[in-house]
Amino acid sequence: MKKNLRNILSIALSCTLLIGALASCGGNGEPSAEKNQNVSGKNKENPATAEGGGEDRAFEAFKTGVLVADVSGEEALAFRDYYENYIAEQYPIEFLYSEQLEDAASERSAIEKFAAQGCKAIISFSGSDRARQIESCEENKLYYAVASGMLDDKQYEEHKDSPYFVAQIGPSMETEYNAGREMGKYFLEQGAEKIALYGAFIPNPMHVYRAAGVLSGLGLSYGGSDDKDAVAGQIFQDQGIKLEKVSGDQAELAAYFQGYGDTTTDELNAAIQAEPDAFISVGMATTFFTQQLNTSAVPFSDIDSFTSGNRKAMEEGELTYLAGKYSSSVGPVIAAVINAVNGHPLRNEDGSALSVSQDYQVASDLESFDRYFKADRGSSPIYDKNLLDQMIGQDTDLETFTKLVHNPA
Amino acid sequence: MSRKENTIRKSYRRRKILSRFMPLLALLLLFLSFLLAVEKKGYRTDLYLKIIFNETAVLAVVATGAIFIFTLGSFDISLGAATLFSATLGILTYMESQSVFLMIFVIFISGILCSLTSSLLASFFRIPAFVTTVAMMSVLTAVSTQIITSRGGALGGISIPSGLLKPLDTPYFKLLLMALYIGIAVFIFNFTKIGRRQKFIGANPLCAKLTGIRASRYTIIAFAMAGLGVGLGAFLTLIYTPSVTSGTAGSIGMNIIVAIVFGGMPISGGADSKIYAALIGGFSYTLLNNTLKILIEGNAGYGISQMVSALFFLLLVFITSMNYRSEQLPR
Repeated sequence: MKKNLRNILSIALSCTLLIGALASCGGNGEPSAEKNQNVSGKNKENPATAEGGGEDRAFEAFKTGVLVADVSGEEALAFRDYYENYIAEQYPIEFLYSEQLEDAASERSAIEKFAAQGCKAIISFSGSDRARQIESCEENKLYYAVASGMLDDKQYEEHKDSPYFVAQIGPSMETEYNAGREMGKYFLEQGAEKIALYGAFIPNPMHVYRAAGVLSGLGLSYGGSDDKDAVAGQIFQDQGIKLEKVSGDQAELAAYFQGYGDTTTDELNAAIQAEPDAFISVGMATTFFTQQLNTSAVPFSDIDSFTSGNRKAMEEGELTYLAGKYSSSVGPVIAAVINAVNGHPLRNEDGSALSVSQDYQVASDLESFDRYFKADRGSSPIYDKNLLDQMIGQDTDLETFTKLVHNPA
Repeated sequence: MSRKENTIRKSYRRRKILSRFMPLLALLLLFLSFLLAVEKKGYRTDLYLKIIFNETAVLAVVATGAIFIFTLGSFDISLGAATLFSATLGILTYMESQSVFLMIFVIFISGILCSLTSSLLASFFRIPAFVTTVAMMSVLTAVSTQIITSRGGALGGISIPSGLLKPLDTPYFKLLLMALYIGIAVFIFNFTKIGRRQKFIGANPLCAKLTGIRASRYTIIAFAMAGLGVGLGAFLTLIYTPSVTSGTAGSIGMNIIVAIVFGGMPISGGADSKIYAALIGGFSYTLLNNTLKILIEGNAGYGISQMVSALFFLLLVFITSMNYRSEQLPR
């Protein structure tokens, strides 16, 4: 028994020492972020100023918290790389990332942690409850911006006048619907008649609207309706697409499946065996099924991002259409945040928070793919410092900002 | 009394003291480590303490209810899903009736009913209760998701007006609710025959049966107490964030098991079960996770904190299971 006691005590002591050692080593000895406004980003050699646009402009160094629901996807990693390895080099900003957020409570908790860590602003890529995110930011006096997405219209109307709500820049649900519709139309114009559809993670709203758009683009109605909101509503209700509710003359929906789990491979094989003319995905197919689809010789499409993996699939495989974002497309939102933190927030003419819908870029061949892929690499992104400097500062006007969001070139 | 018996008695007492106070000592050490880490990083301690409290509140109350089930030597993996379901039904009730009182009533009743259904199914089909809780978890999650997505539409969730429960979102009110519920649980568990008999059933079901104790009655009481905890957990969830998505309370089911083991509860239940294990373990688990995430920045923080939690879990299971290996009856 004594031996057991000794063992336990030694293990307990080791654990205590381990935690103590971690606590001692983990701290960098920096004083409180509240007390010290020095730069904590990578741009330490020039902590308090950043120059651009031919004039000297002083920028306050600050920390920004980033809320993320996806920590491992290729697109999420590309956004993170742009912020941490480009923006943090060019501007005195340190980015702190949340862990993978799964619900509204974890979003609120993450915002409070960022506030405790001395952040001045929050950029959100997480959408469990954006209205509550804004309220938490107001309570903690943090600027808030939505990247790569938008609030629901009603929520936006409710919160647009909050001085802490800076901007929402990203695809709206309308944009998601249109992206799906254009994808459907493309294959219809290519002569595809028999279609397999992958619904990704319906009832995720983004995927629901894209799927509704695909049906519209293919000239198909759902449950007897062609109306965008009615079709989306029925898909929400059905938690997916029921083949028996799809009707139309121009194309036939031969197979449908969604999600990712134990039976997905079987469902994919069944979809391929239906011999479709095209395989349309409303998201994530390039992450899950590229290899199988390339070997199946079925042309496929997806809504994703301009990554090296997708370039390879377009060059060597069967990826024939991609609607996507490029990594620096999240640049304008940081410009809006910099403006707000530095005391000259850019707002709509009526004083409300900026709301700019950002379209997807479309590539249907390697040349058009490279237009976004090669032009948006590492140290020379599309939204580079020169372009962002035109969006930052008190001289920047709403028209210029919006124009540069829509057309960075 | 022989010298050998005396030695055995002393060593047993030492072990009892160690197992009784170790969780408390660990909590204290974790709290000090946490304060040290926050101070070293220059973060705001006041805000971080509030975060720790909010992150633990729901876990602690649901886990306190779960102690009654664990004491019987069973477990309920559906408690997270039941919390989601209760919160969902509560919001749905408010959307239809605009009545806060009705919403609160539905939250508590649905929590208790969800839990009781598991135990009644287990009694009816004569299968272990944890089997029915696995099925309940799937059913409750599926039904909640269906309600949330069909009513929430493009928002991806359903909610009550944010100002509705906002006045209740204070540490004092939450502490009051927690104290009330945990007080009732402590009273039932430590000062009534219900708690004693539940420990007896958990320690030796056959012996309990031969003594005339009806296990099914105490199983139902245990699940009812857990259901009350689920209802309170769902209510606290809505006070903190007045909306639910399909991911709400998703991690509670597994965290409960880790938390009560962290609090010194033997994983097989029985005589050594402790009602306060949920509270101590809940805070210990949250403090450990947050300390590690503060110390280890970046993506690695999350992974490492999970691994360290797993190591602590194994260590504590090892310690609390020593009684069984000693071939002595617990006293």
